[in-house]
Amino acid sequence: MSKIGVFICHCGENISATVDCARVAQAAAEMEGVAYATDYKYMCSEPGQQLIRQAIREHNLDGVVVGSCSPRMHEPTFRRACAEAGLNPYLCEIANLREHCSWVHEKGEATTQKAIDIVQGLVEKVRRNQPLTPIRVPVTKKALVIGGGIAGIQAALDIANCGHRVILVEKEPSIGGHMAQLSETFPTLDCSQCILTPRMVEVAQHPNITLYTYAEVESVEGFIGNFKATIRLKAKSVDEKKCTGCGLCTTKCPNKKIPGEFNEGLGTRTAIYVPFPQAVPNKPVIDKEHCNYYQKGKCRVCEKFCPTGAITFDQPDQFITEEVGAIVVTTGFRVLPTSFFPEYGYGRYKDVITGIQFERLASASGPTMGEIRRPSDGTVPKKVVFIACCGSRDPAKGIPYCSKICCMYTAKHAMLYQHKVHDGESTVFYMDIRAGGKNYEEFVRRAIEEDKVNYVRGRVARVYERADGKLVVRGVDTLLGAQQVEIEADMVVLATAGVANPGAEELAQKLHISYDPYHFFAEAHPKLRPVETNTAGIYLAGACQAPKDIPETVATASGAAAKVVSLLSQDDLVREPLVAVVNRCAPPVYSTCVGCFLCQTACPYQAIEREEIKDRQGRVIKTVAKVNPGLCQGCGTCVSFCRSKAIDIQGYSNEQMYAEVNALLNHE
Amino acid sequence: MNNWNKQIADMLADGTVALVIGYEEGSTPQKTRPLFCHDAVAAERLVMDGRCTHNLAVYLTKKELLPAEGRIGVVATVNVLKSALQLMQENQIPEGRFLLMAVGPEGKLTELPDAESLRQYIAAHPLPDNPEVAALIEKIDAMSREERWAYWQECLSKCVKCYACRAACPLCYCTRCIVEDNRPQWILPWASTLPNIEWQINRVMHMAGRCTGCGACYAACPLHLPIHLLTKKLTQEINREFGTERPAKGNVLSTFSPDDKENFIH
Repeated sequence: MSKIGVFICHCGENISATVDCARVAQAAAEMEGVAYATDYKYMCSEPGQQLIRQAIREHNLDGVVVGSCSPRMHEPTFRRACAEAGLNPYLCEIANLREHCSWVHEKGEATTQKAIDIVQGLVEKVRRNQPLTPIRVPVTKKALVIGGGIAGIQAALDIANCGHRVILVEKEPSIGGHMAQLSETFPTLDCSQCILTPRMVEVAQHPNITLYTYAEVESVEGFIGNFKATIRLKAKSVDEKKCTGCGLCTTKCPNKKIPGEFNEGLGTRTAIYVPFPQAVPNKPVIDKEHCNYYQKGKCRVCEKFCPTGAITFDQPDQFITEEVGAIVVTTGFRVLPTSFFPEYGYGRYKDVITGIQFERLASASGPTMGEIRRPSDGTVPKKVVFIACCGSRDPAKGIPYCSKICCMYTAKHAMLYQHKVHDGESTVFYMDIRAGGKNYEEFVRRAIEEDKVNYVRGRVARVYERADGKLVVRGVDTLLGAQQVEIEADMVVLATAGVANPGAEELAQKLHISYDPYHFFAEAHPKLRPVETNTAGIYLAGACQAPKDIPETVATASGAAAKVVSLLSQDDLVREPLVAVVNRCAPPVYSTCVGCFLCQTACPYQAIEREEIKDRQGRVIKTVAKVNPGLCQGCGTCVSFCRSKAIDIQGYSNEQMYAEVNALLNHE
Repeated sequence: MNNWNKQIADMLADGTVALVIGYEEGSTPQKTRPLFCHDAVAAERLVMDGRCTHNLAVYLTKKELLPAEGRIGVVATVNVLKSALQLMQENQIPEGRFLLMAVGPEGKLTELPDAESLRQYIAAHPLPDNPEVAALIEKIDAMSREERWAYWQECLSKCVKCYACRAACPLCYCTRCIVEDNRPQWILPWASTLPNIEWQINRVMHMAGRCTGCGACYAACPLHLPIHLLTKKLTQEINREFGTERPAKGNVLSTFSPDDKENFIH
């Protein structure tokens, strides 16, 4: 026989204005299993909670129903009060008399009767409640950071500096990402490499960071605190232990005309190469697609010249598994190539380049040693046109969003050009100038006012090459009444849209994180949880969420690192025990689960595993489903899918819900 | 003795299989019945022809009837093969435990060792639609909602809840059926119209996307209630909504494919 206490709250007048609370309490007192019932003006107040605690002690209650507001509001309050009086908090249930009854009905007999019915339903449920204890999930104190750009570098360093171990995976031969390619950074014009490379070195030397370059995440299993990642270490064909990074191989490789990725195709590299002189690690890899030996079976020049015998042509791809507690995704973005734009020549004109290519031209480590020379003939361009919003903010191109960084870097490009070519003339075509940020507006004004960059508000309709080889930029100036403007240019720089990386969708599916229509990864909440994903334990930072500038990227990286560190600082995670459980019963049945595993395909959280029930000799008697409480979100899809009703949600079992619904329906 | 009987007798003799399940002559010339052959001598009695309608796949999940060790041969009809394939997909038959065999028109024995060969054989041997069943479904479809409700009430009021339909169905293999669950008691245990209808609705829903349409439930019903129409109709509905292809893993209702219709959302 149960001893349930029923506590009806007036909620000031929120409930008592339309519901006769005293009568509800009276009716509750007569319900089967109810030992005590009362009403009070503010049950959530300290005296109200004291009333509950006292009643639990005095009447030895083994269940509590509070008729009050929505459980979203005060369920934790009342459960805590019960726990303080020594009652298991999961034996306390809330009858929602405010939102479900008093707020939505007129004052009257029927309203009071409905309140009584709701209480009756919860009393029937609580009679079948079981005491539950929170679930503790152990945490592996190691983080995986995917992507070694500035976001990944910052996140890895922040986590590592808090004393946790970090695995940093980068798919290219060196970390550094896009930031390593930049010449100077806005709005201070400090050298990008000068501020980045010390951090890259710090990553490589940090005792808590394990760096895997030329590697990709193959698969990720598991759940928050307990992920298992398989990482593919692509064959570098160079034994890293023997290689001293002397670089002799790269000077001897006969295949010298390969367009280099780091220089965005403006420079060349060899088949065995280090992407750039400041690379970390500063050891070469062989690009199999361009290597004479791999393609034609002959050459091996690098092997012949290597003084330490580090070249290993037969090196296979390696797979390693790492157990980690948290994952930070910092895979970055890319900018559209010029070939995306038919109106700007489909990439046919050599002197129409992207912003990132201009960065390489302006960079001291670039193919022209920092001199602005145009790609077609190597002469210094005297007239340069910069076109902002190439693709961005253009629904017709499928990119309705603003790429955010282009206004600033275009101003920077024009400024750098004016600084380097004093007699040069630069024109920027723009839609709007979006210079929101500390010192950003001042920076753009400086470009216009001090460096005399010619800003034209208007769109460029077409860039074409005249018969004499000159590029002609045809656009409008909307501030001069949409007057047509035609400018001859030696070079045109397109601020092409920042878009998601080609592998973003695939990676999102591997990690079970969501993404937007443009394949940028989605935050759990755009404002209040900006570095978390909907999958617990997986965090985001940098331009894989949307195009971001360096300060914002670093801020999100440190934010994600803070989230990871707060997770890894706990020995175990505590979760609500409202999860699905597969039943157990006496032999020879063991469980009514028949092991059809149809629930496994229905589960949206990959929470269902296989469990072998074994006898004492270790022989498998039966294979049944098992719900991983660390992954289960308690949605109940498996429960409804199980034909033999072998799965139940703790706290919301079929028996409890059936009794509650029956009590609601069975009154005369 | 047929050539294929000889082959099976040899398999039993040399221990390739420990048991062969097939059909033998029944008590009347119109019927055959299931036969469990434990030795080569019994293999002579095996027959295979159009009279073999029992779905032998029902025995594949009955551990108490099968030897603990060794492979088990099954001389199967296409219906048996379809059920066996479904059981494989639902993890009910361990890989390699059963050797399914089909007998061709010239008495040629085809061994079907794995799921893929089963799938191919089934695809190559489509079963013709039963025109009587199609006509009955059409008749019921033509009824108004009220007429249909009255029809099934009248029909299922006769059900005695013997659960022969459940026992005959190879896919009703749960160790505890929902009707035996009494916490809560979802379906009242006695035989009367409403609980009978509840039972059939549950049985049919549990068959959604799984029923292979063998008709064993109807054949087993001592009252000849047309309960196979329910599963058949549900299969038609599923084919209409999700196509006739079934996912290799999971159930059509538990899995999602991007081209699934979403017209149920209004």
